[in-house]
Amino acid sequence: MAIPVIMPRQGQSVESCIITSWNKKVGDTVEKGEILFSYETDKSSFDEAAPESGKLLAIFHEEGDDVPCLENVCVIGNDGEDAAQFAPAGEAAAPAEAAPAATTEVKAEAPVAEAAPVAAAEISGAISPRARALAEKTGADLLKAAPTGPNGRIIERDVQSLVDRGLTVSGAASAEYKTAVEGSGISGKVMLGDLNAPAAVAEAAPAAAAASALPEYEDVKMPNIRKIIAKQMTASLTGMAQLTLNTSFDATKIMDLRKSLKAGGEAMGLPNITINDIILFAVSRVILGHKGVNAHCLEDTIRYFNTVNLGIAVDSPKGLIVPTLFHAEKLSLAALSKEAKGIIKSAQAGSISPDLLKGGTFTISNLGAMGIESFTPIINPPQTAILGVDCITRRLKEVDGEDVVYPAMGLSLTFDHRVLDGADAARFLKDLVQALENFDLLLVK
Amino acid sequence: MPKSQYVDPGKAFEAGYIHFEDIPVCQYNKTLKEELKIYSKADMIRIYRDMAIIREFETMLNDVKTKSNYNGVEYNNPGPAHLSIGQEASAVGEAYALDINDLSFGSHRSHGEILAKGLSSIEKLDDKELYDIMKEFLDGAVLSVVEKHMNAGGNVKELAINFLLYGALAEIFARKTGFNRGLGGSMHAFFILFGLMPNNAIVGASAPIALGAALYKRSNHKPGIVISNCGDGATGRGPVLESLNFASMDQITKLWGMDGKFSDGGMPILFNVFNNHYGMGGQTRGETMGFDMVARLGAGFNPSQMHAERVNGYDPLAVIDAVSRKKQLLLEGKGPALLDVVTYRVSGHSPSDSSTYRTAEEIEAWKAADPIEAFKTKLVLGKVATIAELDKIKEDITNRMTEIMKLAINDEISPRMDLNKEPDAIASMMFSNQKVVSMDPTREADVMMPKEECPRVKEIKGKIRTATDANGKPVSKMKMYNVCDGLFEPIIDKFYEDPTLIAYGEDNRDWGGAFGVYKKMTEAIPYHRFFNSPISESAIVGSAVGYAMCGGRAIVELMYADFIGCAGDEIFNQMAKWQAMSAGILKMPIVLRVSVGSKYGAQHSQDWTALCAHIPGLKVVFPSTPSDAKGLMTSALNGTDPVVFFESQRVYGFGEEFMKDGVPEGHYEVPFGEPDVKRAGKDVTILTIGAVLYRAMEAAKILEEKYGISAEVIDTRSIVPFNYEKVVESVKKTGKVLIVGDACERGSVMRDMASNITELCFDYLDGPPVVVGSRNWITPSFELEKSFFPQASWIIDALAEKILPIPGYVPTQNFTEIEKIERSKKGI
Repeated sequence: MAIPVIMPRQGQSVESCIITSWNKKVGDTVEKGEILFSYETDKSSFDEAAPESGKLLAIFHEEGDDVPCLENVCVIGNDGEDAAQFAPAGEAAAPAEAAPAATTEVKAEAPVAEAAPVAAAEISGAISPRARALAEKTGADLLKAAPTGPNGRIIERDVQSLVDRGLTVSGAASAEYKTAVEGSGISGKVMLGDLNAPAAVAEAAPAAAAASALPEYEDVKMPNIRKIIAKQMTASLTGMAQLTLNTSFDATKIMDLRKSLKAGGEAMGLPNITINDIILFAVSRVILGHKGVNAHCLEDTIRYFNTVNLGIAVDSPKGLIVPTLFHAEKLSLAALSKEAKGIIKSAQAGSISPDLLKGGTFTISNLGAMGIESFTPIINPPQTAILGVDCITRRLKEVDGEDVVYPAMGLSLTFDHRVLDGADAARFLKDLVQALENFDLLLVK
Repeated sequence: MPKSQYVDPGKAFEAGYIHFEDIPVCQYNKTLKEELKIYSKADMIRIYRDMAIIREFETMLNDVKTKSNYNGVEYNNPGPAHLSIGQEASAVGEAYALDINDLSFGSHRSHGEILAKGLSSIEKLDDKELYDIMKEFLDGAVLSVVEKHMNAGGNVKELAINFLLYGALAEIFARKTGFNRGLGGSMHAFFILFGLMPNNAIVGASAPIALGAALYKRSNHKPGIVISNCGDGATGRGPVLESLNFASMDQITKLWGMDGKFSDGGMPILFNVFNNHYGMGGQTRGETMGFDMVARLGAGFNPSQMHAERVNGYDPLAVIDAVSRKKQLLLEGKGPALLDVVTYRVSGHSPSDSSTYRTAEEIEAWKAADPIEAFKTKLVLGKVATIAELDKIKEDITNRMTEIMKLAINDEISPRMDLNKEPDAIASMMFSNQKVVSMDPTREADVMMPKEECPRVKEIKGKIRTATDANGKPVSKMKMYNVCDGLFEPIIDKFYEDPTLIAYGEDNRDWGGAFGVYKKMTEAIPYHRFFNSPISESAIVGSAVGYAMCGGRAIVELMYADFIGCAGDEIFNQMAKWQAMSAGILKMPIVLRVSVGSKYGAQHSQDWTALCAHIPGLKVVFPSTPSDAKGLMTSALNGTDPVVFFESQRVYGFGEEFMKDGVPEGHYEVPFGEPDVKRAGKDVTILTIGAVLYRAMEAAKILEEKYGISAEVIDTRSIVPFNYEKVVESVKKTGKVLIVGDACERGSVMRDMASNITELCFDYLDGPPVVVGSRNWITPSFELEKSFFPQASWIIDALAEKILPIPGYVPTQNFTEIEKIERSKKGI
């Protein structure tokens, strides 16, 4: 029996996905589990495997098409079977070459109603008491439900379907879970950490458009990732009392360390440890003494973390992505460096596991490489602070009555004044500066 | 239509005349001197005293109603008071002739009759008997008040008069120490132990009930007669006319009896009309009726003209004379009888009556003829008593009444039922819920052969008690034990078990009921226990009520549920209410069989369970399988509550499809209120009422086989009472429920159940409980019925459209919300 393959919904906020490539074409024989096509959301890329073996009877969307989630993408079946009945409304099926006549003929007869009740024809927001109770019991992620009850009501079977597919929300996360996100837990379970979606963290996009002689302007639709960033940034700034403290530290010691690591580290089997790794490490050690900056602000509650999950802002080709380095406080500098590299790389490649895009307790954004001397990073809610790392400049300081030039590295800490006060934030920065300036001692510690 | 009576066309057309005898009109003309040969002086003075007591009692109530003050005692009585000032001689005259075995039923205007009959019984009972009655009644609740707070001088009869007056007044004032705990009130007061049977607020409603009491005496060979009192206005009511005819049926003297016994004797009932000239304000003679004199009615009902007579109701001695003669006729087996007792109500219909319908002159003229004053004059002139003696009696009565009124309005001594402290006080009286196998275990039942020899019993013995044989093949209809047999078995058992059981209705005997439930029973059960009634639904049901009030058990049948309307008052106000209105003193072991038709169109196909379920006090059941029919009928017949027993003509011939071993042999009860899971399932619950069970089973089969949906089918079996636990359990499991029945869906029991299930299961529901009933139309002809009654496909349609869309299913019926609103807007 011919079956349609739908565009999966990777989170409730995801309305559509872009097909990046087709591995099969109409008429190809496919085995169950073979990759049919690849697609991407605003955050990640995915491959869709064939749910059954058979012949690819029809393809409704081509590479580059932006396909609404849950809409049929293609049909697998046997020769002569009707694929057209699965064509999305308004789409003409690319008929299977093997049986072009049959598909058109059947299409005319196929009752529209047959496909409709199974998919969510309309979404009313209504849910039966029983479905709601089941969702509460199982933690099913109702925001991902496809209602099949009358008038778009979510009924028991819809919730059961979520549970069967593992689309649930953890108890801890459920209280704040308002907008659907991809789950990072087992089978896509939405964990508390998922709610601090890194997509929320980004700086204002630098206006760096190169002047062009040709048309005066070009209208480009915002990609989903841009829309989400825009929304989250605005929400962050309007929902919090943010302000930024700027300071700098003497980077002599860390630059020396880096130099010596560069020279002999490889021989010792150490990775290429960057200044950024060093800062991540210092933060992971200092921040536990300043609980206000390693926290989440949840309406009337502040959740202080005993672990340090560092979000690392990464500039990827699609836009900002913030993978998380979990339990940074437990990692040696070498281990931290290695892990950070791994996740940054996969983030840039767009293939990072959704598990690693959630759960940050504090974020670090480094624009130092771009020569930025100071900026105001925007906090990723519900986190309470974000550290901006600036470039190194040469500065003078008086040592034993003499002016000495030293490498000064800027730090810009934005914090949520609702949760902590200026002095709290300053103390954190002061300790961080102290640690970085005496990094050798920190390593011994 | 007994075969013993040949309807001869030769005689049917014979020429001749109907002859009437003269009906006496106020022919009494005895002198006091003549009467003093019959009555002692003490009797004469007592007649005066009884009339004066009634006059004072009514005057007191009139004062309370109009001035909130009687003899200096303030009180406000919001309840009704239909007084009978002027009618005292009629009441006392009637009661004088009655003894303790004679029962009297009255109307809304019956304080006088209660007191008169009570006083008469007090006089006739010996002191010990009298005291025991009072002591045992309501555990002495009434007696203790008058014993403690009034001085009767050690005289039991005086004590009993206090008891009577206080019990009646406390009842009128809705006190817990009243004769019926204050639940009956002014228009329904009674005291059976003095032969005072319930009075009735529905005009004319006592006639069929009194008829039932007479039927009880006639069928159970009990001594005494029954008086059916009503006003002249009530003679316009169908139930009264039906009762006059029912009581006069030829069969009672021509066909009843067995083995040479019980064959003589008409119905021992005297229809006594207190003819006060007005039905509220409508003047019967001259305006609203055409009989000129009520007594003329007698000539219309039987050749003896019901021994009808018109009597001067302003002369107690004339009334005593007439009632005594009628009673004698009844005891001789020449009943029924009819008396037209001419009287006048000087007081208004009620205290709010401004007498717009009569002149002051007319009232004054009747006041001038006051029966009490006239009798007083007669006694004084006849030297039976002196004015002083009689005035002393009057004065004593006023004092006694004042004392009694003070007791009756004292909230400490005469408290009202406290429904805050005892919230279930009334609830606990709605049903008696007893199991009484025989209403009279002291007697053998009148039967004409051993039960085993009854042809129908023999026939059933040879029947196969399942619908299919061991190989799954359907059993032939002729050999199959069906729903009719399931009903018959407990009924024939009860006929042998309970000597008081009687069964009647239209075409019950030879025909066996229109649908043959009683087939082949005539050989075993004598006429006086099992007979064809006239086509008189009011009298059929009303008489069963009176029969039950006297301690008997009755099964009455209305052939079609559609005829419930013809017996509306009797079912809804009488059968349903008397247990609670009597504060649990009366039991009502009646099974009213009604059958829901099909094929016969708009007036013969209706499921009216909702009408009966709506009325508090009725139990309502609706079995659809032979086993349930038998078990529920057994429960109904062992019980002491009124049961409306719905049956479906669609399934009378059905065999047992659900019990693997077939309909169980022997006695067993299906408890009232317990639904039955006829098919287990897990995805959706289908709750059925009545014969729609079989269509629900069909729908369940389709759902399972075609759509993989597992339906649980639950047969309600009972409607009142109903235990929701099993349904709740099922709905908790499935989250989806359809309630299905053949009644028109608007205002149906299904709707009620849907509402209750919503309340009870809200958090478990995956969709609204959906009702699938008949359309809100007339029932069309058989050929169009499938568009009217719910079909298996409708059940699936409703499920798919309202609860659980089924992929690939195309509904035929429109159950959408838009359609619902549209239909409701149009009232269809």
